[in-house]
Amino acid sequence: MIDIRELRRDFGGIRALAGVDLQVQAGERRAVIGPNGAGKTTLFNVVTGELRATAGSMRLGAAALGPLTTWQRARLGLVRMYQRNELFDPLSALDNVLLSIGSIAGAYRPLRSPRRAERDAAATVLERVGLADRSAVPARMLSHGERRQLELALALARQPIALLLDEPTAGMSPAETERIAELIAGLDRSLTVLIVEHDMDVVFRLADRITVLHEGRVIAEGTPGEIRGDRQVHDVYLGKAIEA
Amino acid sequence: MSRSTRIRAAIVLAVWVALATFPEWSVAWESSRFAAGIIRQILIFAIFASSLNLLVGYAGLPSLGHAAFFGGGAYAAAIVAQRLGTDELLVSLGAAVAGAALLALVVGYLAVRAVGIFFLMLTLALAQMVFAIAFQATDLTGGSNGFSGVHRPVLLGIDFNAANDLYLLVCAVALLVALLLWRLATSSYGRALVGVRENERRMRALGYDTRTLKLSAFVLAGALAGVAGALSAYEFRFVSPNDVALGTSVAGFVMVLIGGAGTLVGPIVGAAVVLSIERVLPSQLPAQMVLGIVFIAFVVFARQGLVGAVRRAVRA
Amino acid sequence: MTLEDALQQALNGLSFGALLFILAAGLSLIFGMMDVVNLAHGAFYMLGAYVALSVTRATGSFWAALVVAPLALAALGLLVEPLLLRRLRGRHLDQVLITIGLSLVIADFIRLRDDWGWGATVRSLPFPAGLDRSVAIAGSDYPTYRLFVIAFGAGLALLLYVLHRRTRIGALVRAGVGDAEMLSALGVDTDRLFTVTFAIGAGLAGLAGVVAAPVFGLQPGMDVDALIYSLIVVVVGGLGSLSGAVAGSAVVGPADTFGKVLVPQFALALIFAIMALVLLFRPTGLLGRVRIGR
Repeated sequence: MIDIRELRRDFGGIRALAGVDLQVQAGERRAVIGPNGAGKTTLFNVVTGELRATAGSMRLGAAALGPLTTWQRARLGLVRMYQRNELFDPLSALDNVLLSIGSIAGAYRPLRSPRRAERDAAATVLERVGLADRSAVPARMLSHGERRQLELALALARQPIALLLDEPTAGMSPAETERIAELIAGLDRSLTVLIVEHDMDVVFRLADRITVLHEGRVIAEGTPGEIRGDRQVHDVYLGKAIEA
Repeated sequence: MSRSTRIRAAIVLAVWVALATFPEWSVAWESSRFAAGIIRQILIFAIFASSLNLLVGYAGLPSLGHAAFFGGGAYAAAIVAQRLGTDELLVSLGAAVAGAALLALVVGYLAVRAVGIFFLMLTLALAQMVFAIAFQATDLTGGSNGFSGVHRPVLLGIDFNAANDLYLLVCAVALLVALLLWRLATSSYGRALVGVRENERRMRALGYDTRTLKLSAFVLAGALAGVAGALSAYEFRFVSPNDVALGTSVAGFVMVLIGGAGTLVGPIVGAAVVLSIERVLPSQLPAQMVLGIVFIAFVVFARQGLVGAVRRAVRA
Repeated sequence: MTLEDALQQALNGLSFGALLFILAAGLSLIFGMMDVVNLAHGAFYMLGAYVALSVTRATGSFWAALVVAPLALAALGLLVEPLLLRRLRGRHLDQVLITIGLSLVIADFIRLRDDWGWGATVRSLPFPAGLDRSVAIAGSDYPTYRLFVIAFGAGLALLLYVLHRRTRIGALVRAGVGDAEMLSALGVDTDRLFTVTFAIGAGLAGLAGVVAAPVFGLQPGMDVDALIYSLIVVVVGGLGSLSGAVAGSAVVGPADTFGKVLVPQFALALIFAIMALVLLFRPTGLLGRVRIGR
């Protein structure tokens, strides 16, 4: 479903991505882990099109992503959850989600208010992420954990076929983390999920396969069990230098 | 429609009827004609300010060149009416809308490539280009002398030459524009514009083609400004480069901000305030200076404008 | 066009360019440091010219005006920045809006002060004694004042360059243009730096007003013209840097001059077309470092 080959991204002299290969099957839950600066968020930014790839190719299903803009990729079904919340602060939680749903039908309905069906769908999504009783609250007034939930809601509401989650549990309490992990675990298997995470419990719980990134390269890939036993991964995380 | 919407609609309609019949019920007042003239101008500029509000208040695009479409529409209406030798309202108004929209398409295509302050600078400069053309194309526009002898329009036999008849026309158009903008603001399109204002990055990530969205708002706002421009041409029977000048763009911006950007009533209130200061203040007092000071005061102390301040007070 | 005419126009282009540089430098500086596009810049220019008018009338000396007017504008800047702009720190768009209000106030103030010899009538400032004659250049006469403008502009550019590169305040400005937050974190009083920068920018605008006044005269609306030209110059040359102001004025000055002579109906359109082209293909401006769009 997601097919990334030889992906490179340079920033001046710095190689944030130095040739990443990543193939994710449809319906798979793939976790991408690695120490800070490994290139995980850059990977997401390039895949969604917010950053240009310096070289390499990306496909979503049969579609080549390279020439497409961010919004075109989103329309194909490649939807992202941001690491730092990108919400519509003055709008209520419900209005936030409505904007996401509204994107499916298209923006050019100048004389129509959002249909009943859209409002119901928005309410349903909010319930799924656990914000049903906060739907009228402006996004800026929600707690950090709730904002994270809303962030996820925005991505889910878009009815993606491939979901990119950037540290979904960042800054959450154990209870909130549990709820989000439940939610992700319960997502339909028609959805392909790529998830960047630091919380290893969440990773090992949710992932079918794990890809380990270090200095812009994939250094290991496999099932959770394989990765847990991998020597290189161990060294990287404990800070020992890797011979190039 | 929900109950609160129905109540609001009723209030708006009642106010509008009172306004539209003002020349009749105020006839005993000696300043009635003068006041009616002021109200006409307020409504015309309320349309102008409301169209700018779509850009500034809803889409978050700070345009300082909106007069290009106001004056552009005015010139289009006047020139086409004269060249085709007809006073038919639909023709001249249609020309105004088409001309302003086309101009907005060209300017907007260049301008939406920029954001924030750069967008502001770009719209300012591009509008000055339109001003330069209006000023120099003497054969077409009358140059610095302006385009005079504009006729008041005729609609299928109904003549709007008399002041009170024109008054009704302006009221009718203002109501139509207000209703249109009301629909727009609550629609999915209006919400999308607000989304672009609040977080364009997120909108793109959700699949919205934000650049085209912004361009469409720009063209729509331009077209509506053109409508106001046509009405202005009828009102003053005259179009001048001043109608596309920076001063007019700034006045529009001041109206939107003082009234309350992002609200429906704000621009109307703003137009009323600005025009009252400009027209009613005795000529010894410096109108522009007062406006400038008032504007600064609002930016510093009441950024949400009068309507915003009232709303906040009501909520508290 | 004969060679003599071409040379004349070239000199005209250079003198106009020099003037544009003095004007645009201030705008670019303020933006580079504070992220504020000072839309009152034209009004400052105008005020500088009118102050020069009064000073020249009072003292009979243009040179006195050349010193006093920029200082007066700088003083105004020292007042305005803390009073109006500082309280809106971080709200860049709102700061720009305030400068709009300021320009309305200044322009109307000038318009009203008939009693000061200002007012709405067109006024003129005579050339200073010693620069009011012509010099023979390549066969025809050329006004010495315009030569002075070229020399003055070049000299100012050099002076600013030296100050920018070789002095402490210049270093602070350079650093501030790069990253004001960082500077603040390092303990520099950025509030005072911003105020001083704004004052310098205003002073430069006033200086431009004095220098331009004998050539262009004084009338209502000169603030808008100046503002538009300075915006075009910084957009073309690159916003936020002195070299950008140089590049922009070097392009716009001659282009405007030759445009007016060769294609008078399209002269303004030509300038705007240049600006539009730069924005489309090099949005940072010819020498700029600040991205204009996304």
